[in-house]
Amino acid sequence: MVSVGRTRFGEHYEKEPEKLIEEAWLKASIEGNLERRDLEACYLSDYFLPITNKLGLEEGFLSELTELHVPMEVTRSFSSALMNAANAIQAGRYDVVLVGGIEKMTDRWDKIRDDLMLLEDPWSYYAGCTPEANHELMLRAYIKKYGIAGDDLETLSLALAQVSVKNHIHGTKNEYAQYQRKITVEQVLSARKESRRPLGLYDYAPISDGAAILILTSEKAAKEYTDKPVYISGSSSATDYLTYPAREDMTHFLVTEVAMKNALKLSGRNLGDIPIVELYDQSTVMEMISLEDLGFCKRGTAWRIINESCQDYKGYYEINRKKLFVNMSGGLKADGNPLGATGGAQVFEVFKQLRCEAGERQVAKDGELKHGCVLELEGFGTKGYVYILGRE
Amino acid sequence: MSSEPIERRVSYLGDRLRGNRCLICGKEYFEIRDYCGKCGRKSYGKMVSTDLFYEKGKLEVCTLIDEPTNKFTKLGSYIYGTVSFHDGRIRVPGRLTDRSAIFGENIDFSALEDRDVVPRFRRRYSVDRSDVIPTISLAFTFADEYYPYQPYKTAKPKKEYDLPGIVGYGVYTSRFRIKEGSIERSVPFIDEDSITAAVEAGKLALIHSEVESCMVGKIYVGSESNPYAVKPIASKVAQVLKLGEEEEDVQGVDAVDTEFACKAATSMFKDAAALVNYPKSNIKYAMVIGADNSQAAPRDCPGGELDLFVGYGAAAFLFGKQDVIAEIEGWYSCTSDTPDFWRRDGEPHPMHGGRFTGDPAYFKHVRKSAKKLMERLNLKIEDVDYFVAHQPNVQFPVRMAKELGFKEEQYMPMLQVAKFGNTYSGAAPVGLAAVLDIAEPDKRILVASYGSGAGSDAYSLITTSQLLDKRQNQKLTVKYQACNPFLEYVDYTTYRRLKAGM
Repeated sequence: MVSVGRTRFGEHYEKEPEKLIEEAWLKASIEGNLERRDLEACYLSDYFLPITNKLGLEEGFLSELTELHVPMEVTRSFSSALMNAANAIQAGRYDVVLVGGIEKMTDRWDKIRDDLMLLEDPWSYYAGCTPEANHELMLRAYIKKYGIAGDDLETLSLALAQVSVKNHIHGTKNEYAQYQRKITVEQVLSARKESRRPLGLYDYAPISDGAAILILTSEKAAKEYTDKPVYISGSSSATDYLTYPAREDMTHFLVTEVAMKNALKLSGRNLGDIPIVELYDQSTVMEMISLEDLGFCKRGTAWRIINESCQDYKGYYEINRKKLFVNMSGGLKADGNPLGATGGAQVFEVFKQLRCEAGERQVAKDGELKHGCVLELEGFGTKGYVYILGRE
Repeated sequence: MSSEPIERRVSYLGDRLRGNRCLICGKEYFEIRDYCGKCGRKSYGKMVSTDLFYEKGKLEVCTLIDEPTNKFTKLGSYIYGTVSFHDGRIRVPGRLTDRSAIFGENIDFSALEDRDVVPRFRRRYSVDRSDVIPTISLAFTFADEYYPYQPYKTAKPKKEYDLPGIVGYGVYTSRFRIKEGSIERSVPFIDEDSITAAVEAGKLALIHSEVESCMVGKIYVGSESNPYAVKPIASKVAQVLKLGEEEEDVQGVDAVDTEFACKAATSMFKDAAALVNYPKSNIKYAMVIGADNSQAAPRDCPGGELDLFVGYGAAAFLFGKQDVIAEIEGWYSCTSDTPDFWRRDGEPHPMHGGRFTGDPAYFKHVRKSAKKLMERLNLKIEDVDYFVAHQPNVQFPVRMAKELGFKEEQYMPMLQVAKFGNTYSGAAPVGLAAVLDIAEPDKRILVASYGSGAGSDAYSLITTSQLLDKRQNQKLTVKYQACNPFLEYVDYTTYRRLKAGM
């Protein structure tokens, strides 16, 4: 990876999708000192632009925008676009490829939850499910499986609130984040009380517009554009059933576990080599579950670690006396969650951190951070993508 | 936007909760699978069809849905969760239905979890008025509340009778009531209508009769509140209840809707009986259902007087010649063109003729059919143990019974209108079911229905000893539904809203 660019996430009702992708492209191309004609192919991702913005054949609009007539493909998530691009480069087909993600969800505010749910799983939708309900069922299943009750239940509930508060703190230092303000544990808890549900407004990532772009090159070509390329040292994806209740275990995502194991194996690294991770916190529960699925915490224990680390938050979770920096961008909760572009922002963050360009958010000095990890999901754990990124 | 092919496929699977089980490893699927995901090709041809329609599930985990997706907004707030069957071998998503509001600041989800639930056939969500009505059975109610779990056990017939008669019956009304003065009336939940009531009643009749559903060769559904002007209710009943032999996805059964105001169902009793008695019909059983979400204009509009009496419910009767619980001794029907109650095509609510609905309509026809039948069968008043009449209100059937000379003990058991309201096509049938619930063997029941427009069907039935044998299959009796601790009473505004449906 030689350069990245993105827009601020949030509500961009005045902008066409083209404007957002243009903005991200300009940043990435300036950073990498690239010209459009350098691009040999484009991999674009959007989850449901044809539904939200009545835009089919998104490749065409990218071609009009760039005046490029190179091969272009569209996938559903940034991670999947990146996977295709990386495979093509590895196969020796291209040297310089654009990977872009775009989503414009707020244009369809009134119907967005129906679309999200129907695409996530039709049977759950027919049974009356909402995009939020599965997260709450997962929490209920987790509580039941590990027999969490009494004071422990209070602590678990508090820990999940702390996840949200923590991610908002990180968001204040991210100029691109949708929410750049702090929230309190009390706000999270009172929103839950108001909703009468296990999770409330502040437990969930928002609906967002935004775009992100990165330029992926072959190892050989990278040096032409930057002195500090970031490498994909391992990557993997996994797939599971569409219908969440039909899966064997409702307390975790199999796809995360499988993708992480394979990505680590490919990279030749182990968990201990990874001090920073951007994970897919569509809800606070997902952050907790992902810490376990990725292997950083033992099953059934992540909430304790979160709670202990957040008593007096120092900017990281402390697991077995080791620091783990999680969602320094603010995560999906504060940074935003424009589906097709979300993965781009996650990679953006780890890219910047590894190159020591994260400004106020920077967690370690230049050269100290060797590896970072990105987890992106599609659907409710139907697909999982893991990338191990490194400076070498 | 609607897609009929998608709707057809979803309701084919979802109404009955159809699936497959692998005979090699036992893995179950809630969908049609030609082979098992675990066993692969070797399981091809070793998948058996299953369904969860008569099963009992367990609510595993749940949460509250307060802000549903757009098509579910009319449900307001509801409990949503996962339901497992067969000791967790199969798990499906589902919502709890039949709860008008979810109260309390702190909902204790653990108190709802791990309880037994029963799948219920309901409307799925709201669609445009011109669209196909989507249905599904991924709606559930607790087995320890209003609607108990009843297994469907079939049995080989034990006895052949000379005369055809009723071999099983079922009555269904919802758990919601409106109470005004001394009269209570059943109110459908928002996801119910005459179609769902017809299916429920038919299901209960199959359970009660112990007859295999594939043996039913004809289904008649009488209703005056079919949500469709064109499209039968009977086809839905036939498919959901798997009536007749199923081949591919088509049921080998004749299904038809009938219409004659409140006598649309009773009129077909004799047709069903004649059909099963015809030696070459090859039909062993025929089902007749009367189902209505009785319509009435709002109280301050023309025709709004009916709004004080309309109810919701259905009754199903299965006719045959084997294991009969009440033989049909004879019948008499009469008809005249008397416009006392009508609804023009395209109008949402019926109109009626006020005082004209009494003497020249109801009393004239019911009196005629009852008297004529008794004359034909040479019966005296004391030969009849129970009298059942159509019941649009309390006064009419009581006045009729008294005028004919019946005593209270003969006509009181059928009088259910004060508990359920006028269930239109289901009204006389519910009265008959109430009598069958309590009658001893060898009792004579005289039924006289009434349908506006106008006509009446009178039947004489004689109960058999098998009535007692099958009684244990009937947990949802008329009395159980009339006096139930789980009844929920709603106000007038809610009643109108629920009746209008999704």
